[in-house]
Amino acid sequence: MLHFSKQTIYTEHMSIIRDIAGIAKGMSVTFREMFAPTVVENYPDGPGPMKGAVFQERFRGLHVLQRDENGLEKCVACFLCAAACPSNCIYIEAAENTEENRISGAERYAEVYNIDYNRCIFCGYCVEACPTDAITHGHGFELATFNASNLVYRKEQLLAPIKPMRTEAPVESTSQLKEPAQDHP
Amino acid sequence: MAEPKSITITVDGKSLSAPAGTLLIEACKAVGIEVPSFCYYPGLSLQAACRMCLVRIEKMPKLQTACTVQITDGMVVTSDSDEVRQARKSMIELLLGNHPLDCPVCDAGGECELQDMTFKYGAAESRYMEGKLHKEEQQWSPVVYFDRPRCILCYRCVRACGEGMDVWALGVQNRGSSSVIAPNQGDHLECEECGMCIDICPVGALTSGAYRYKTRPWEMKHVGTICTHCGDGCKTTLGMRRSDTGMDIVRGDNRDKSGINGDFLCIKGRYAFDYFDHKDRLRHPLIRRNGQLTQATWEEALEHVGKRLKEIRDTQGGQAIGVIGSNRTTNEENYLLQKFARTVLGTNNIDHHRTTDFAGFARAITGKQNATATMRDVATASSILLIGNDPTEQHPLLAWNIRSNVRLNRAKLFIVNSRPIKLRRQAAAFLQVPEGRESKFVAFLNGDDTAAGSLTSPAVSNDSLKQVRDQLRGAQDPIIIFGSELRGADIAALVKFGSGVRAMFICLGDYANSRGAADMGLYPDLFPGYVAADGPHNFNEEWGKVPQVKGMDIAGMMQAAKDRKLAALYVVGSNPVTDYSFDPAALQNAFVVVQELFLTETALLAEVVFPAASAYEKAGTFTNTCGDIQLLKKAGEISSVRSDFEIIVRVADRMGADTKKLVPFGKGVHADMGQSRGAQSGEADRHAVWLTANNLDPRLSPFDPMAILDEIQRLVPGYEFSRLNLIAGNDEHVTAAEHSNAGAGNGLVQIVPANDSLFTSGTLGRYSHTLNSVIENRRSTESKEVMAD
Amino acid sequence: MVISEKLDRFFDEKMKEYPTQRSFLVPMLLYTQDELGYLTNEAIAHIAKKVDLTELEVRNVISYYSMLRTKPLGKYHVQVCTNISCMLRGGEEVFEHCKQRLGIGHKQATPDGLFSLEEVECIGACSWAPAVQVNYDFHENLTPEKMDAVLDQYSRKAKQ
Repeated sequence: MLHFSKQTIYTEHMSIIRDIAGIAKGMSVTFREMFAPTVVENYPDGPGPMKGAVFQERFRGLHVLQRDENGLEKCVACFLCAAACPSNCIYIEAAENTEENRISGAERYAEVYNIDYNRCIFCGYCVEACPTDAITHGHGFELATFNASNLVYRKEQLLAPIKPMRTEAPVESTSQLKEPAQDHP
Repeated sequence: MAEPKSITITVDGKSLSAPAGTLLIEACKAVGIEVPSFCYYPGLSLQAACRMCLVRIEKMPKLQTACTVQITDGMVVTSDSDEVRQARKSMIELLLGNHPLDCPVCDAGGECELQDMTFKYGAAESRYMEGKLHKEEQQWSPVVYFDRPRCILCYRCVRACGEGMDVWALGVQNRGSSSVIAPNQGDHLECEECGMCIDICPVGALTSGAYRYKTRPWEMKHVGTICTHCGDGCKTTLGMRRSDTGMDIVRGDNRDKSGINGDFLCIKGRYAFDYFDHKDRLRHPLIRRNGQLTQATWEEALEHVGKRLKEIRDTQGGQAIGVIGSNRTTNEENYLLQKFARTVLGTNNIDHHRTTDFAGFARAITGKQNATATMRDVATASSILLIGNDPTEQHPLLAWNIRSNVRLNRAKLFIVNSRPIKLRRQAAAFLQVPEGRESKFVAFLNGDDTAAGSLTSPAVSNDSLKQVRDQLRGAQDPIIIFGSELRGADIAALVKFGSGVRAMFICLGDYANSRGAADMGLYPDLFPGYVAADGPHNFNEEWGKVPQVKGMDIAGMMQAAKDRKLAALYVVGSNPVTDYSFDPAALQNAFVVVQELFLTETALLAEVVFPAASAYEKAGTFTNTCGDIQLLKKAGEISSVRSDFEIIVRVADRMGADTKKLVPFGKGVHADMGQSRGAQSGEADRHAVWLTANNLDPRLSPFDPMAILDEIQRLVPGYEFSRLNLIAGNDEHVTAAEHSNAGAGNGLVQIVPANDSLFTSGTLGRYSHTLNSVIENRRSTESKEVMAD
Repeated sequence: MVISEKLDRFFDEKMKEYPTQRSFLVPMLLYTQDELGYLTNEAIAHIAKKVDLTELEVRNVISYYSMLRTKPLGKYHVQVCTNISCMLRGGEEVFEHCKQRLGIGHKQATPDGLFSLEEVECIGACSWAPAVQVNYDFHENLTPEKMDAVLDQYSRKAKQ
């Protein structure tokens, strides 16, 4: 036997109202987002050197070797990054600056500076170890290659260009500015 | 001398005792209490300049410097309290006040005492706002650079140079905070370029021209091996880095100070490793084709040499082949070479560049006990007689030990020399005798007063000669050191005198393994251990048939070559064309094979040249001129060269010889039928028995020099040293000369002293960049000074 | 001869009184400086040989003492004290005045080589401050005006 109480009617009707309210709430998000600017990155069809990729400032990508305000390399080949590196992927050969050939601000500079991205784990210890803020993490991330030997990046590939392209701020990445050289040592 | 009284003191509540006269800092060190210091250095005079070692001593009004206080009975010391810690911290803060923050570029970064102390004792943050005094870096010599701001004025360099080296090329100018270390020539140094100042510098103020800015200490792998230049056998630690060609030697130094050289290394030990990657280094075998030496493969070269040598041996006999060994190859290689010559080539025509008469020495001291001194003994002997030679130039470590002994232990030094050598400044008596009369002095020592007549001069009176003789006769266990001026019978006469006063002897030879070459039997008349070739010996039994007649020495080979009787000449690491003026024309028709590092004058005449590994690229043992044997460790590798050891084994193999008989490797040469432990063990493989008895395993490779070392230890009397100690990197004294059985000898032999200076090292030295740059620099400053006059 | 024979003989004589010969080094340097005006390279070499030291060691000693010099100074070396007593009584003004008048600074010499100037520590004439020492002569209770008179006196002396 059916027994209709006030309570039953109220709960039945209320559920319909609640469903409608829920849909409306959901749709409001949908409609709002329809008119909002898109969040999905248009990589790799976006504009600029980053091809639409957007990163958090803290993202640790391909390293960049910075220059000082005079355009000299900041790296003084102290080997602390190589010492700090847990995967032993940094190789440096140091040389002495001379009057005729001045590369860095201090007495010594890195003649060879290789990072082996086969091994790098992007932990950022090298950046923390650097006493001259020479090595930084850029935002370069397009490291895929068909040949593992291409993953040993040389100093020329890592170095910030002499004249920053847009601003005085540190250059974020050089990977898009230079093609990896084919003639690896 | 009575033992000094033992004194008990209390440091940090711990009671400890040490002999009276011990410095507080040393007493603390002995029980593991560290008192930091910069300026204190054991063996050098006290300075108390750095004030790092301040400690609190009860009943003394102020903190005291532990490096200058001698312990006294009942002294109560606090080395670790807030007060002392604060004092240390302040001292470091003061030192850092003017010290640049260039650790990332500084060569000393990572092995800097100031860095370590700052980490340990604080003061990393400075309260000084004043600017730092900056001075430009100066180059004082090709090997010494000085960076003024980094200097903390501990004066260690000044003392090491003056007291230790007796050069006195460094001084302190000005005073107070503007004090500065100054070189003796105003803006450059004129010195022995030993690099001791660089080594002893606790910071990076003095840096090495050869190593500057090349790498960092932790980037290197360190290999403690033996210097390959003079006959002193210093231990040098090579800093190795990976490079394009394999391993690169970036630095030689005296890092662990555990070798027989203690604190010492000379310019050659420190810098002259750099011949190893000289551009002229041979990197391929060469074969003469149409009169030209042309590049060949190892296969071709080995095949060619094997075939030709076999042909000559089979058609003309072993006596038509001559072999010249090296003063720079290892004991194992020398032993193998003479075994190869005697068993495979079938000849006793084997010799080496003799720089002194080791054979005559062995004949003189045979059968005597404790007749040879070690290099370490020189630093402690109570009196020393030096006849001939100029150790400062030719045996820098020996000179250092003599100087230290005179300075620290007041040893009595007597010098007999034809030249006013530098060591005379340490001598109790210096007798300058006319050149070539050293043997007359020996006769005089033996009581021949008539010999004095030919020795006296205005500077040397009869009385002074007698005085020296009397003092020597009364000396306690003296060490008698003599150079190549004494030979044959003179050595015997000297030994006769020395035996009366229980003297120990050192015979000075010139190259890294001259003594080894002699001990290992690179002689036409002597087998390993100075055993007469024509006398009774058991090498026939051990090696199979060996020639019984004496062979030709180098002079004999040269004559034979002129007479067209020498069909082949096999030269290993030697340059007889230059050293012995071997006539190149005589070798025109001979088949000459040379194993070398460089295309030397001799190699240019060769039919086949094998590129050999240098001593930094192979393992083995070297015996220094005193008879201290040490392990040579392989540091790096140069691609495409092979060790002399391997080349000899491979040539023997191509000649059809049984390499197992040449190098005892693998399981026994003969099948061991189980008799090895039985009474009939004479029938069994003696080598295997020996190995078992000494708890050693058979070597697995025919190219393992240790296999030959096993045989050397088994067959050469006097080489029974502790293998464990050797492998641990220590020196062991060998006494092959005392155990020799050399027979009568064949009169005077041709001895050609190398007469190297501090900056030359035979043929090898010509290929060292650093040695050349120092020589060049000296020449240019000299000519400048002449022009200025 | 680098130094006069008389001085050389005096050195030989005096040296005998010293048990350690090198102890005589500083007096020798001072006497030589008085004779030559400054310590020449030749004099340094000569003295080094005399006491059996290296030239470097002699130079170390010279550089330690500010009163020993290896460069020539003026014929009249004006040493103005600016330590506390002299300073309170106007020593610095006297020094400034000398600088102006002579046109030279501390440890410099006039182009004609007549005067040189040095600011020195206490010369022991505090009771008569401010004081100036010219070579070995003292001039006391000075003012800039009195200083002029002193300098004029020396200029005249030089002309005679």
